[in-house]
Amino acid sequence: MNADNRKGELVDLKSQLRQLAGSRQPGVEDIKRELYKKVISYMTIGIDVSSLFSEMVMCSATSDLVLKKMCYLYVGNYARGHPELALLTINFLQKDCHDDDPMIRGLALRSLCSLRVKNLVEYLVGPLRSGLKDGNGYVRTVAAMGVLKLYHIAPSQCTDNEFPAMLRALLLNDPDAQVVANCLCALQEIYAAEVNISPETALRDREHLLSKPVIYSLLNRIKDFTEWAQCLVLDMVSKYIPSDSDESFDMMNILEDRLQHTNSAVVLATIKVFLHLTISMADVHQQVYERIKAPLLTLVNSGSAEQTYAVLSHLHLLVLRAPALFSNDYKHFYCRYSDPTYVKKLKLEMLTAVANESNTYEIVTELSEYAANVDVAIARESIRAVGKIALQQYDVNAIVDRLLQFLEMEKDYVTAETLVLVKDLLRKYPQWSHDCIAVVGSVSSKAVTEPKAKAALIWMLGEYAYDMPDAPYILEGFVQNWTEENSAEVRLELLTAITKIFFKRPPESIKMLGAALSAGLADAHQDVHDRALLYYRLLQQGVEVAERVVNPAKQAVSVFADTQSSEIKDRIFDEFNSLSVVYQQPSYMFLDKEVRGPIELVEDTGLLPMGPTTTDDVLPSQLVDANDNDLLLGPSDKEDSIVAASNGSHAYNGPDLSGFDSLSAPQRSQSAAFPTPTPQVATTPAATSTSLLDFDDLLGLNTYDVSTPAPSSLKLKAKPSLDPQAFQRKWGQLAVASTVDHTLANVAALSTPQPLIRHMQANLVEVMASGGKAPTFKFFFYAQAADSPPTSGFFLVELIVNTSTASSQVKIKADDASLAPHFQELFLATLGSFGF
Amino acid sequence: MIRPLIFFFSFLLLLVSNSAEQGHEDRSGLAIMLHCVFILSDTGEIMLEKHWMGHQVDRSICAWFWKQAHPSERQETIQVPTVVAAPTYYVLHIVREGITFLACAKTEMPPLLGIEFLGRVADVLTEYLGGLNEDLVKDNFVIIYQLLDEMMDHGFPLTTEPSILKEMILPANLVSRVISVVTGTSTTLSSTLPSTTSSSVPWRASGIKHAKNEVYFDLVEEMDATVNKDGFLARCEVYGEVLGSSRLSGMPDVSLTFTNPSILNDVSFHPCVRIQAWESNQKLSFVPPDGSFKLMSYRIKNLKNTPIYVRPQFSSGGGVVTVTVMVGIRANVGKPVDNITLQLVLPPSVASSDLTANHGSVLPNHTTKVTTWTIGRIPKDKAPCLSGKLQLEAGLERLREYPTFLVGFKIMGVALSGLRSDRVDINRVDYSAYRGFRAVTRAGNYEIRS
Repeated sequence: MNADNRKGELVDLKSQLRQLAGSRQPGVEDIKRELYKKVISYMTIGIDVSSLFSEMVMCSATSDLVLKKMCYLYVGNYARGHPELALLTINFLQKDCHDDDPMIRGLALRSLCSLRVKNLVEYLVGPLRSGLKDGNGYVRTVAAMGVLKLYHIAPSQCTDNEFPAMLRALLLNDPDAQVVANCLCALQEIYAAEVNISPETALRDREHLLSKPVIYSLLNRIKDFTEWAQCLVLDMVSKYIPSDSDESFDMMNILEDRLQHTNSAVVLATIKVFLHLTISMADVHQQVYERIKAPLLTLVNSGSAEQTYAVLSHLHLLVLRAPALFSNDYKHFYCRYSDPTYVKKLKLEMLTAVANESNTYEIVTELSEYAANVDVAIARESIRAVGKIALQQYDVNAIVDRLLQFLEMEKDYVTAETLVLVKDLLRKYPQWSHDCIAVVGSVSSKAVTEPKAKAALIWMLGEYAYDMPDAPYILEGFVQNWTEENSAEVRLELLTAITKIFFKRPPESIKMLGAALSAGLADAHQDVHDRALLYYRLLQQGVEVAERVVNPAKQAVSVFADTQSSEIKDRIFDEFNSLSVVYQQPSYMFLDKEVRGPIELVEDTGLLPMGPTTTDDVLPSQLVDANDNDLLLGPSDKEDSIVAASNGSHAYNGPDLSGFDSLSAPQRSQSAAFPTPTPQVATTPAATSTSLLDFDDLLGLNTYDVSTPAPSSLKLKAKPSLDPQAFQRKWGQLAVASTVDHTLANVAALSTPQPLIRHMQANLVEVMASGGKAPTFKFFFYAQAADSPPTSGFFLVELIVNTSTASSQVKIKADDASLAPHFQELFLATLGSFGF
Repeated sequence: MIRPLIFFFSFLLLLVSNSAEQGHEDRSGLAIMLHCVFILSDTGEIMLEKHWMGHQVDRSICAWFWKQAHPSERQETIQVPTVVAAPTYYVLHIVREGITFLACAKTEMPPLLGIEFLGRVADVLTEYLGGLNEDLVKDNFVIIYQLLDEMMDHGFPLTTEPSILKEMILPANLVSRVISVVTGTSTTLSSTLPSTTSSSVPWRASGIKHAKNEVYFDLVEEMDATVNKDGFLARCEVYGEVLGSSRLSGMPDVSLTFTNPSILNDVSFHPCVRIQAWESNQKLSFVPPDGSFKLMSYRIKNLKNTPIYVRPQFSSGGGVVTVTVMVGIRANVGKPVDNITLQLVLPPSVASSDLTANHGSVLPNHTTKVTTWTIGRIPKDKAPCLSGKLQLEAGLERLREYPTFLVGFKIMGVALSGLRSDRVDINRVDYSAYRGFRAVTRAGNYEIRS
């Protein structure tokens, strides 16, 4: 349907509704019903039908429940966008709040509370108050939640009218369990938000909520609640700290049968309570694990695929925490053919974790079958898993047998993974060299193509030259192909291996050493060149000296650095039954803000919400990065780590999910534009920016006039220098001097942050950081007043630009607040001149 | 140089602005808040959306999700886990019958609560619409809006029991029927509303009346088994469910006993089951919900045998693989094994296949490389056998990845685990009702690696 047709139909609908508005003919309800249905169906497919608002409201006087519901739905959808029209609905909604039918009373009250128009709040208080006292449970249920909605719109109106106190009374006394549950839900939210407003009372109230009488009154009627309300109660109970162990046991006895609930959410909430109740009772804790194991294993295998994965993620935590407990249940973690790759990966980790002396054979046998899996990623992972198990256990014969099998498969990636595995094994257990070397000796070096595997093979050839008669000749082959070897890692390893072999079998390798060193010295890669030079000079000092440095006696590696940190094991207490468990990131790595207080009334404009909640709405992946413990690194290190992180893609389950791509884009495009920055300008951010400026001028990209940036008394310094740490510190310390929202027609065409950055730099405003994706970009700028000392007179700006709405939001902080208005004027003028 | 330091500033700001909250580990408010639900068709089209938190979650989140879930056009199934973190929301999803139910949350919440809720939405819709597909969803949006409105308020689940919902919202077919019968009058159901919500048995309304009283139980077992390369049964378990279908008047008290409950390894129950009665004498005692419901589910581990055997043999050389697969009855379970199927998933290195069987039909699919052999029931006079050759891609001598067989079967009238019920009693009512009990076993995830 094209736009004109649609418009015509809307006009048509409008007039039809208008005619029906006052009509009392028989059968009119049916016609209305059809028309309403049409309107709602347009709404459903995303067509804006808000123009029919007044007609819809006019037709709303009806006794037909379905019609009413459609009308409520419509009003709820559009009222916020049309506050002046919303007023029209108040009348009929209020009337419906006094209907004889409790269903209509409830629905009307729900719609009334869902209008969320600030200036209509006064009409809400009365119906809410009577709703809470209504004789019907359904209406009270709606009213209890309505209080929370009111709180989100107007917190003070809610508390001033003593609504929380009314909820508290209902919480303890209402006969209807659903009313109690909704009161609980609303109170928890309200108190949590109140902490920011009046901390003392809110904390006291919350303590009251978590007090013994409240908790017990809820626990005693837990079976009356719906499964969802049970989850809510259980979550609250998990925060309650019992006074002694008897109380803990009482609570666990009351709740034990919840573990047999069909709803997995109830089961997990119960488990969380158990874990928390026994946190300080080590022996009971173990029993709890035993008790919760069976229901979890059942849930993993019996429900939908989605449930399976979510439960499995929790089980994964449990397995990491107490692997021994599952040593007999390892079969549950065998991969199924139909499991998605992400489930298989999780299962492989679990199999690795639960392996012990009693089950290693079976587990390794199973893992070996996956090595032949069609799914290459899983085949690789399973070989690595065998390696990890081998590093933990002592069953050398079984493992070496497997390795032989892997190599016999003659698949390049299997061979590659196996070689890396053997190398790790040898570093930890040099005593196995005999068995392993026999295996490695059979590998044809031509079949190995992956750098990691090549490096592993070369390392072994160098290290075990005595055990492999043809080691020098294999290495010689590698040296001959020096120029074709693309990986610096392999070339580095080759230099070392050849030098080591020279100490062991000099006659066979002296020629090759010469060739390798000269190739190394000529190598374009800095590290390779340096290593070749180092060896060369060491050898000049004498062979013994060189050998002492290059090939000293080695100690076996006892623990590899990448093994599980104990910190992760404790996550089970903090994060059990949370989303972060499922998407596999500890919550501290992620956004963990709670929506508190008034829910922002702004509409989402895109994936990146804007507005006053910016601090909360940071891209999650950014926070991941923020927590990378490299906060102390300098800017260039930081950049490296970001690139590494985006390669590692640990933020999400798929590399493409992360926001890194867009964030690191600025650098990439820059380095592409300016491929050969001279070393001296690359040292400080400020210097580079000026060089950028020069380049821009050189390339004629900007046609602005630098000398007349804006009409203002304030002059900015040409090369302000502020390091990221200082920026961060200042941003934290300074108060917001001004916040401006304004429209910016000229940014609509912005598709990357670059052009705007260049423009600002040309006008002496430097950028500290930028990011985001169309249509929303975020920038941090800074500038410095011209005649100020090096460490003061800075202006810091946070700019959020939305290209789709052509709007921007500017937040300015200044060392000297008195200069802020001048700077603001300057900044906005500069911003306004962008693109002209 | 411009550095994407933005994140770490923002993080810092977060710390600054929230320092008060962080001080006391502020997690006390449980925000079970699903902001919205989107229902998507199998092509990712948004068929319906429902927002609960007052402000609209932008539709673009669905496009984002769809792109993540289908990184390449080729992939038809969703490639992301059930919970993913989008730039602005946590996105939870489930897929039922090709329809994706997607929910957004802004804060931490118990993941299974979201997943179970979405599952319940799908179940309720299926029951209301008599199925679940694109057309049904699009035709019945008014009903779906009403349902979603009663199932959740302000992001917190309310009632999801179909029997209670039916008291408040008439199923589509009933609505039209009522309208046609009672023309011109309202179809409100107010008279029944008060009783349900304050009922002491939240899953059942009072005053239910049926002309014919009957209750059926279906024992449905699925066998999961993996046979490894060497022919060993690596694992074999049974997952079972007791599904009830009740059309009983009044407030009946039903009890169901098993002859051999001790074989059950782990059980979970519908909220109606009195767990104490189960624990003291292994008897299921309950007031059933009206309509169909899942009474109980259980797991029985370490079964020693599968009812049928599958013996694959591969020998390869010179780029050709010779295949023979024999299938037969291993252990007599007392009833015939029906609907036997065998899916042979060929590795990518197989260029073409030529397989025939001496019984049943063989259907190769060249694009997915899955060959399906439909056997049905094993004949008395011969052993079914699939044989033929696989041609490997040029340059390959031998088969390197070995195919996996997925086996399907169905046994009517018997539970493979041996679980049996010996009686169903109905108390506290003054009528006699028909009672039925059936059992069926199906292959769940039964795979044979070769």
